[in-house]
Amino acid sequence: MSEVVITGVGLVCALGDQSSRVHEALCAGEDGFDPSPIPGAEFEGYRVSAIREFDPRHYLGAKNLRPLDRTGRLVAVAAELALADSGWSVDRRRAQDVGLVLGTAFGSTKTIGEFDRRAMQEGPEYASPLDFANTVISAAAGQGAIWHHLRGVNSTISTGLASGLHAIGYASQLIRSGRATALLAGGAEELSFELLLGYVRAGLSCAPGDVPRPFDRRRSGGILGEGAGFLALEESELARSRNARVIGRVEAFGAGYDSRATMAAANGPNALRAAITRALGSAGPQGVGAVMSSASGHPLLDAREAVAIRDALGDRADLVPVTTIKGNLGETQGAGGALQTMVMLESLRARRLPPVGGLEQPDERFGLDFVTGAPRSIDVTRALVTALAREGNACALVVSVD
Amino acid sequence: MESLTRVVVTGVGVVTSIGVGREVFWRHLLEGQSGISPVGSFDTSRFQVHLGGEVKAFRPEESVKHLPPESMGRGSHLAIAAARLAIEDAGLKTDDIDPMRVGVSMGTTSGEPKWIEQFDDRELAGKRDDIGEEFLNRYPCHVLAANVASELGFRGVNLVIPTACAAGNYAVAHAFDTIRCGDADVMLAGGSDPFSRITYTGFARLGAIAPERCQPFDKHRRGMIPGEGAAVLVIEPLARARARGARVYAELAGYGLSCDASHMTAPQSDGPVRAMQAALKDAGLAPHQISYISAHGTGTPTNDRVETLAVKQVFGEAASSVPMSSIKSMLGHTMGAASAIEAVACALAVWDDHIPPTINLDEPDPECDLDCVPGKARRATVEAAMNNAYAFGGNNASMIFRKCSDSDT
Repeated sequence: MSEVVITGVGLVCALGDQSSRVHEALCAGEDGFDPSPIPGAEFEGYRVSAIREFDPRHYLGAKNLRPLDRTGRLVAVAAELALADSGWSVDRRRAQDVGLVLGTAFGSTKTIGEFDRRAMQEGPEYASPLDFANTVISAAAGQGAIWHHLRGVNSTISTGLASGLHAIGYASQLIRSGRATALLAGGAEELSFELLLGYVRAGLSCAPGDVPRPFDRRRSGGILGEGAGFLALEESELARSRNARVIGRVEAFGAGYDSRATMAAANGPNALRAAITRALGSAGPQGVGAVMSSASGHPLLDAREAVAIRDALGDRADLVPVTTIKGNLGETQGAGGALQTMVMLESLRARRLPPVGGLEQPDERFGLDFVTGAPRSIDVTRALVTALAREGNACALVVSVD
Repeated sequence: MESLTRVVVTGVGVVTSIGVGREVFWRHLLEGQSGISPVGSFDTSRFQVHLGGEVKAFRPEESVKHLPPESMGRGSHLAIAAARLAIEDAGLKTDDIDPMRVGVSMGTTSGEPKWIEQFDDRELAGKRDDIGEEFLNRYPCHVLAANVASELGFRGVNLVIPTACAAGNYAVAHAFDTIRCGDADVMLAGGSDPFSRITYTGFARLGAIAPERCQPFDKHRRGMIPGEGAAVLVIEPLARARARGARVYAELAGYGLSCDASHMTAPQSDGPVRAMQAALKDAGLAPHQISYISAHGTGTPTNDRVETLAVKQVFGEAASSVPMSSIKSMLGHTMGAASAIEAVACALAVWDDHIPPTINLDEPDPECDLDCVPGKARRATVEAAMNNAYAFGGNNASMIFRKCSDSDT
């Protein structure tokens, strides 16, 4: 079995495009929330975590961007940053196949919705063939591969809110089993009219004017966001042979599923707990010094995630600080797990864990050591990242730094 | 080095336009039946083409028993029906298995397009207020695998791999790896896609839909015909299958994935070549050991020509002696379900020593001059079958199925 190392990261989100900068902003308690740029009386008073003045040309140069929709551009930009950070130059990519694994919950709902509405309104002959290629959920992964000439394995993973983290686990498995040697792995989700309306109508948003309060007794929902992030993963021998800087390791991954009925209650069977236990392996929770959860302020999901973490850590539950980025960055759906992982890697490096945004009155029933108010100093090398989707998909990743 | 776990197919479930369930499907496939008919699920009067491969007389409530059928779209209905058939076909007693050790890996192109189409209809009708929670909760494609697992009570690894027209192969490949690395004891893997007006519109605009017949490899072929369906395979370790006395259709011998990285919709030969080569290497087989190729074979002028070139490049002299057929000639292109249904066809070809035909192949294209099994099924010993699938974005996947004799353990 090959060892999987992380040789670079690339991300773009409401708090910036550098993982150290995003980490600093989170530690300073900054958030990415702004009034919704999407017009509509339905959205009055609602805020979103959008990437302000997103300018793909700044990263990608003057090449024709028209074939790429917003999801495609987010992917191409995050991939560009990850390739640059990991030293995968164009020349190196000619000699060695690099692939891409994208986690996304929806692909581009803007592209799909507008394509369909145009055809329905004006007639099928007015639908754009160019846009059609982008209506497939895997389009952004394909566009990213074309843009960066990534000829290795190209795949797309959908597990709802867990998509980004699951994609990293899936990619690690491909490298560990020798099926790939170098992969960009992460997630992306765009903000769109369709998703924002869906999020509000599904009752997932916190009240207009309020903020998400993950793990807080008063939590009432999240704020919808967007973003993209990729880790550059590769087989450790390859990284060594090309003298790549190793910033961390993917140690293990676990995944499971709870039924719709099970997801309707805070307690009871919990596949995330099992996924964490599987990822921790025979060593158990010993040595895990921090947890990056996917809690976003959702009344039930936060509770299920807290229960899973507490039960899986057992006796060590009150010794391990737990945080989340979603109190500041909102619910970036398919991108979330990738952004969580990057912020955790940066936290291990900087020895500082950002606090949970919006958390003032921790729900004591959870019995966890949440990072509140200010960043927490940590001196650990191994951490857990977790993700839980509303429909029951759950996964956990163990990462480490030297 | 520790030897790798051998992984086999012990059950198949199919819901297609030519039949539901293994026996009917396989009989009709070998008879060369066509499932193509005028589209009934939406109005095609504004289109210049009107045919599709829809599943007729399908009753979701016969398969969706625990969850409310109306709480999900047709993609989940088809997937659940196929999963139930596969479990029954495998003789799997689900009470005897730890539900945490049973996973679901599904491929799709569109997931549940009904919910975004409904969103669009309401938006266009000025009824935005009628758009409710269902869009966010029922539309994301991962509900396909989630609904299968919720309905059947499986709690292991659960994911959807939406790699468009190659998705079924990707999903089966992931199940293969999941079993091999010990993350599950049993995997349900396959693909599902319901008939979608968005997909139909898109292929119509690309000028890719054939007006009358889908004729892969024919000189006068005029395109593909969109279809729908689902297939699920029960995948488990050979040792487990032997221990429970299960029938083994075929062994998963190996697979390969690659990416063209050159064009979103125009097929290239380089990527498919690399996927086939990787699959052969993974399976430890030489090209001449492949007895049957299930082609991607959409029936578009470019695909079939480029695919032929790719096979020739990989198989060399052996290319002309390997039968290669396209069952899309009968089913149309069922999108994310296609390579899962074709995986079932490969497993059954290996088990039953029959090769399904390419129908509507009247005059072979000189540029598609391989043995495309025109018109009639063929009886032949099928030691190994290769399933090829190619998708938008240049996603290529080749999977190899191998015969498993009774003495294999």
